[in-house]
Amino acid sequence: MTAALLLQSAIIGISIGSIYILMALGLTLMFGMMHIINFAHGAVYMLGAFVIYYVFFQGGAPYFAALVLAMVLLGAFGYLVERSVYRPIKGGIEPTLVALLALTTFLQAAGYPVFGQLDKHVPPVFAGTRNILGVMISVERLMIIPVAAVLVVGLYLFINRTRLGAAMRAIEQDKEAAALQGVNVHVVNGLAFAIGFALAAAAGALMAPIFKLDPMMGEQPLLKAFIIIILGGLGSIPGAILGGLMLGLIDSIVATALGAEPAFLLSFVFIIGLLLFRPSGLFGHA
Amino acid sequence: MRSKRSVMWLAFLTVAALSPFAPPTVCAQDVIRFGVSTPLSGPAAPWGIPHKNATELIFDELNAQGGLAIGSKKYRLEVVAYDHKYVIAEGVATVNRLIAKDGVKYISVLGGSVVKAIEEPVNESRVLNLPLAYADGLVSPKNPLTFHAFPSPPETTAFWKWIKEKHPQIKRVATLSPNDDTGWWSIKVEAAYVQKLGYEVVAKEFFERTMTDFNPVLLRILAQKPDIISVLASPAGSVGLVIKQARELGFKGRFIHIGQIDTSVVANIAGKANVEGTWVHGYVQNPLPEKIKSWQARYTKKYGEWNATSIDFANPAFAFVAAVKKAQSLDQKKIAEALQTVEFENLWGMAHFGGKEYYGIGNQILYPMPFSEVRDGVANLVVQLAPPHN
Repeated sequence: MTAALLLQSAIIGISIGSIYILMALGLTLMFGMMHIINFAHGAVYMLGAFVIYYVFFQGGAPYFAALVLAMVLLGAFGYLVERSVYRPIKGGIEPTLVALLALTTFLQAAGYPVFGQLDKHVPPVFAGTRNILGVMISVERLMIIPVAAVLVVGLYLFINRTRLGAAMRAIEQDKEAAALQGVNVHVVNGLAFAIGFALAAAAGALMAPIFKLDPMMGEQPLLKAFIIIILGGLGSIPGAILGGLMLGLIDSIVATALGAEPAFLLSFVFIIGLLLFRPSGLFGHA
Repeated sequence: MRSKRSVMWLAFLTVAALSPFAPPTVCAQDVIRFGVSTPLSGPAAPWGIPHKNATELIFDELNAQGGLAIGSKKYRLEVVAYDHKYVIAEGVATVNRLIAKDGVKYISVLGGSVVKAIEEPVNESRVLNLPLAYADGLVSPKNPLTFHAFPSPPETTAFWKWIKEKHPQIKRVATLSPNDDTGWWSIKVEAAYVQKLGYEVVAKEFFERTMTDFNPVLLRILAQKPDIISVLASPAGSVGLVIKQARELGFKGRFIHIGQIDTSVVANIAGKANVEGTWVHGYVQNPLPEKIKSWQARYTKKYGEWNATSIDFANPAFAFVAAVKKAQSLDQKKIAEALQTVEFENLWGMAHFGGKEYYGIGNQILYPMPFSEVRDGVANLVVQLAPPHN
């Protein structure tokens, strides 16, 4: 593998890793606070992409306005899911898992009659390629990195510098104690759902002009997000960031060097190996 | 007034009560049900939808003329179609349902990996299958009731000979195909053929059908500096992404698909300019012979939108109707015997089943195969070639 090829695959890996991070952050945030795995995350990713299709491509709105709209709409949907699914079943882990699995199945099945049977596409937002140190990289892929970085930094600042973020951290540490200190657990849980869904929607919206759109498009990113949060440590935001970058780089560099199948296998071998030594993941608590 | 209403009710109830004893209608009794298991959603839907539609259109037109005559009896043809999404488990489930629940004796299944997975139930149930599928050993003496109704790689590789003559500057070939029965066999046949012709096969890569990010695998391929990339057996949605991403990575060469893809779907994803120069088999938009123009008009009238894939994917229905007419029987074995000898018209000309010297059984459709080149976004017919075996 030449240095140029390594550089090219590393940049592609960071770009795809940025999407994985956005997907995993929402999942890990919800797990950290409520100990639930959001199976609907992949379907929300798909809906985020379809908002771009209808609002940006069909409706002619500016791309970033459509991206923000996707985040707002699906964030509100997340809040509604907390109110109508999670809260009524009193946060029971197993019933919530089943309910979210049912929701994702419904959204995927409804996708075909609503969006059509054929794959959809969104034209490029940032067309063309750039020559970076002698290797060609598409501008679309490069643009994912700063946009994802802005969202990650924004989430970090929100969680660490705001009162609501402090409330989230308090619930993550001890829900009952946080409630005794006056934290409205329901509202903050609703906010976590909203942020988780909005991040998944952003990931889908960023990928819409790069890949094709279909109702099942969220399955692969969801699988990757699960791998990342296990790798990074369940509930850990720094773990999700590092895990996302690692998986993106493995996917890209190993697949370029050895082929797609070995890369897929190696990502699992790597996780199994890591979990043997650190069963709680890179940043997880035992 | 009240008595008049009572009489009407009495009449209605009498008719309703007697109706189960009335002789069954001709329509209800004399129906031939033809099963179609095909991808009607997902990346392979651009193949499955015209497969189902073309079969329905041919049957509807025949029904409008009174139906299919066997002796003195006329039968109405009916399509029972299910979506398998190009997922093997769904394919097996839909075919089992067609055979066991719907009682269908004749089917057409699209997709090599699906058709391989249903070989056993099809053979055990003695169901006649007219698939559109690429898979090793599909056309073989162990599947006597399977008649492949679309040209396969052993036939369509003939186009490489034409390329060798007309474009001698192309020397290095890379292949990228789905990681399943369809892809493995297609590439095995194509690579062996092009190597025999003197080409250098510089890369052979496979991908999962769910893959959308082809960058890593394309980086591997492009590092070998191919002149042309074959995407044989890949669905249109995947080919669109492959072409788009390969162009972004700087690939300037050609693409070729000697299976079949809808180049308009590919161009929608990859961009019109990126698809320029691509060679495909079995998808022609221009020029169309009068017979196909008439088919186009009828298809568009019925379905609202024209789909050129329907031209070649009408073969199972044409073959079935011709064989039943010749056999004058609904017995699968007799229809199969008729298929081995019948000559019939498809939309490109005269077709028949043959290829015994290659496959060991004469169950592969053979007819003059159309090949196109995409120019200005349109698939233009460049040549029609006879299959290399008869």
